[in-house]
Amino acid sequence: MIRNSLNQVLILTISNMKSRYRKTIAGFFWVIANPILMFFVQSTVFKKILNIQITGYSVFLLGGLLPWIFIVSTLDMCATILLNNGEVLRSYNINPTVIVLSQVLDNLINFLAAFFILLIVFALLGNIRFAPLLLFPLSLSVLAIFVFSISWIVSILQVFYRDIKFIIQFGTSILYFLTPIFYPQEMVPQNLQYIIELNPLYILISPIRSNVYNFTLDLYVAQIIKAMLVSGITLLIARKLWDIKKNEFYQFLR
Amino acid sequence: MNSINSSDKILSIRNLSVNVNQDIYPRYTVKDIFISSVQSLVQKKNTKKTINILANINLDIFRGQRVGIIGVNGAGKSSLCRCISGVCSTDKNTIMINGKARFVLNSNAGIFPELTGRENAELLSYLMYPDLSIKERREMLQESLDFSELKDFLDSPFNTYSKGMQTRLILSMISAKSCDLLILDEVFDGADEFFQSKISKRILNTIFNSGAAIFVTHSIPQLRLVCNRLIVLNEGQIAFDGSIDDGVLFYRSIKK
Repeated sequence: MIRNSLNQVLILTISNMKSRYRKTIAGFFWVIANPILMFFVQSTVFKKILNIQITGYSVFLLGGLLPWIFIVSTLDMCATILLNNGEVLRSYNINPTVIVLSQVLDNLINFLAAFFILLIVFALLGNIRFAPLLLFPLSLSVLAIFVFSISWIVSILQVFYRDIKFIIQFGTSILYFLTPIFYPQEMVPQNLQYIIELNPLYILISPIRSNVYNFTLDLYVAQIIKAMLVSGITLLIARKLWDIKKNEFYQFLR
Repeated sequence: MNSINSSDKILSIRNLSVNVNQDIYPRYTVKDIFISSVQSLVQKKNTKKTINILANINLDIFRGQRVGIIGVNGAGKSSLCRCISGVCSTDKNTIMINGKARFVLNSNAGIFPELTGRENAELLSYLMYPDLSIKERREMLQESLDFSELKDFLDSPFNTYSKGMQTRLILSMISAKSCDLLILDEVFDGADEFFQSKISKRILNTIFNSGAAIFVTHSIPQLRLVCNRLIVLNEGQIAFDGSIDDGVLFYRSIKK
């Protein structure tokens, strides 16, 4: 049963990607070009123009901005995914999580491609320590589970409340400034630090950033435990929400 | 869904009801929600009404039966098919199937128009037949694609196909394999080829080779060709269950 669902996730992901790149000359390039371009623009603006004083700012930004783009773009795409695939869900005996998972996987591949292209460049420039990267798969798995869970929640809610996608777009634009992506956590005044500590997106991004920038084992262990907790709780909430809403789900799916 | 023991009984449904709670007054805006919430609090007015989509359905289908389901629009035909197929939540033990059920509710859902016919056929194979092995899938795909006779067009985008070609590809896929319980919901409505081309023979073979079949259509000639039992659904209830001829007469009487 799980194997069948995984096969469906894979074929849907492949079909989605093929369909998106068909008739484009550069294909996959366009999808990974966006985060890379965003990275270079922000890196230049904050380092050269706003003169943020952080050693290795480009690598610091890489560890924060690219996971951020992965989370936000997946949330944006997944918000309407169940609603848009209503016809498929009502026509085949396919688990709704298959549809959500295939979009998360699609975006994960795009994120990894852009991330590693930049990582290789910085590694060649000698700005990356290799040992902490061994823990990257762990940080990535925890992040991917979180992104899947939150996308699942949002996509279910969108079926019932059509305002959700607007709230997500609005909320993530504001959160971008409240999350230490392009500025370090230390810049935030002490009395406002709790906002950062409670920001689930930052909790999930910080282990990834640690893997590429200023790694210390003690800090990483604390970060990854916190991230695992947030990720696990989000998954439980998603599961619970599905259990509560699944009776009405198919009636609203039109 | 649980399995049942009797080898001849393919499907057993007991006391299946599907209800939806709907707002009496549509709540489109925040103002509507506010007014309706205050109304229900202050006046203790019930702002919701319950709609019975399916009401207390009891149904047994045995091996060899090809059950046609007809009813006016909104009678609950598709909801019943979805519940049997698992695309609807019901209480445990309400619906029991002996074996594997496969259903097709809409013939072109899941299609990526930009992809080729071959690519879409592969995708559909995973949606329609999730439990095939790699070898079985390859053979099934090859056989279906050969049968469709689309040849060189198989590598052209699906959105360049004529309506007839699209139908041919999809029907070739749908009719590729029989199963214990085959549920077809209006998949051939509008497909003229069903009775005219060689594909009708293949589809009929698939239906006849399946343990049992449920066939939803608005077409009486299709019903007479395929089915040996007829159920008429009316307002979410089984209003008639019996022979095709009597069922058609009954259906015409309630339509008047």
